[in-house]
Amino acid sequence: MTELPLREPTFLILTALAAGPQHGYGIMTDVAQISAGRVRLRAGTLYAALNRLDTDRLVEVDREEIVDTRLRRYYRLTPEGTRRLQQEVERMRSTTAVAAQRLKLIGGTS
Amino acid sequence: MDDRFRTSDADRARAAAMLRDHFAAGRLDAAELDERLAAALNATTFGDLRRVLADLPEPRQAEQPGRLPPDRGGLECGYRLLLACYPAAYRRVHEEEMLAVLMTAAPHGSRRPGIGEAADLIWGALRVRCQPSRNGAEPGWRDALAVVSVLLPLIVFITTAVHVAGALPVYLDGAPIFRNINPLWFLNQFTGPLALLALSLLRLQRIATRATVALLIGVAYLAILSYWAGGPDPSMVSTIAGGPYIMLALGLQMAAVTASPGLRRGLQLVTWKHVALTAIAAVAVAITSYPWTLVAIPVICAAMALTSSLGRWLLVLLAIPLGPYVFVPYAYVFAWGPHMRLYVAGLIPTGPLEPLGQSCVLAAVFLGVFVVAACRESLRSRKLAPPAR
Repeated sequence: MTELPLREPTFLILTALAAGPQHGYGIMTDVAQISAGRVRLRAGTLYAALNRLDTDRLVEVDREEIVDTRLRRYYRLTPEGTRRLQQEVERMRSTTAVAAQRLKLIGGTS
Repeated sequence: MDDRFRTSDADRARAAAMLRDHFAAGRLDAAELDERLAAALNATTFGDLRRVLADLPEPRQAEQPGRLPPDRGGLECGYRLLLACYPAAYRRVHEEEMLAVLMTAAPHGSRRPGIGEAADLIWGALRVRCQPSRNGAEPGWRDALAVVSVLLPLIVFITTAVHVAGALPVYLDGAPIFRNINPLWFLNQFTGPLALLALSLLRLQRIATRATVALLIGVAYLAILSYWAGGPDPSMVSTIAGGPYIMLALGLQMAAVTASPGLRRGLQLVTWKHVALTAIAAVAVAITSYPWTLVAIPVICAAMALTSSLGRWLLVLLAIPLGPYVFVPYAYVFAWGPHMRLYVAGLIPTGPLEPLGQSCVLAAVFLGVFVVAACRESLRSRKLAPPAR
């Protein structure tokens, strides 16, 4: 079965979690950093995406902590999530390679 | 804590978690993290742990803006109101967690949630409500549709019985309006909804198949209804059959049969309370005239809504077939007795085809929206699901 490309927020969330378990706010700041400030996830978007990723078993809860009376829940990639991200990276790499090669042909810089 | 005291597993785990936080925040690189994690997990005394964390700030200073200033109470209140849009089961697990994220991410000095944040939370709540949950439970609105597919035939049966009981004396009087109508027309009133009820017994798997069969039954029902009604005056079909009511009920039943998880699920969920309240509402709506309906529907629906979140969904869905009585004043002419005679005497005019056309369009739009929503959601969950092996 061919899986559809991940949407950008989902891709960035998986990328953020690839570095290790993170809590919600950590994912938000990390995604902003990875995308050089271009994508700023809000809490509603983040948690709707996390809920779907959790349902599809691409991420899971790592642990919970209480920091300053507030609950923090850490998420991590599942092996399936890692595989899915890997697959997405390979898909993107092959298309960008072709794009770069063709840009060279018409004299652009890649 | 004295540096000589020995550490527990929990202490070491806590230190490791703090190190991962600092790594996430960019204060450590991967090699440093590995090295310090090893040191933290092998620590035997608090002194060892303190050395591992010596050059890193306390998490509270690093990520929290210290104690909340008192005016943030309003902000928290606002966020809690918005979080109320999420399903109760989701809120039990995630409310505190999301609140912590929202409060941390909120700009300094803000007293209430921003418009962008609020819109995003409401949209997120809608998405979560439409996503299938992990343990296989259906989202609230699909469960509610399953119950509706059980209750709707009951409503249609009751209101049709009341209408027929009202019309029968007029028919027996030999009123001119009924001259072309076959007596079987009265029985025919009950067949459409029952056929749709039978459809959910067939347990057709694919949504598209169910939608098609439901649509065919609906069209066949209308065709038969207009045949029995005598053909030349189609407005008779919609008016005598209960006006927009029967069309909307039919549309809703088609949607419920199409998009709900099935009659079996509906029968599991439905309680005597639902049945009793629905029966009372239907009788009240069918026999009372217009002003009383305005009081009866909200009271009964409110009672239903208070019982559970499923009740709140039922409130929304059942308001649709009962709605025309509130919004379309001419519907009340079908109440018992003098109103019916007024209509037969031609004192209350109705435009030909108008109610029929309008209600068919409404029913079609309604069915369309539900079929699209259900298909889209099932398609999306199939796309993202791990490949079947």
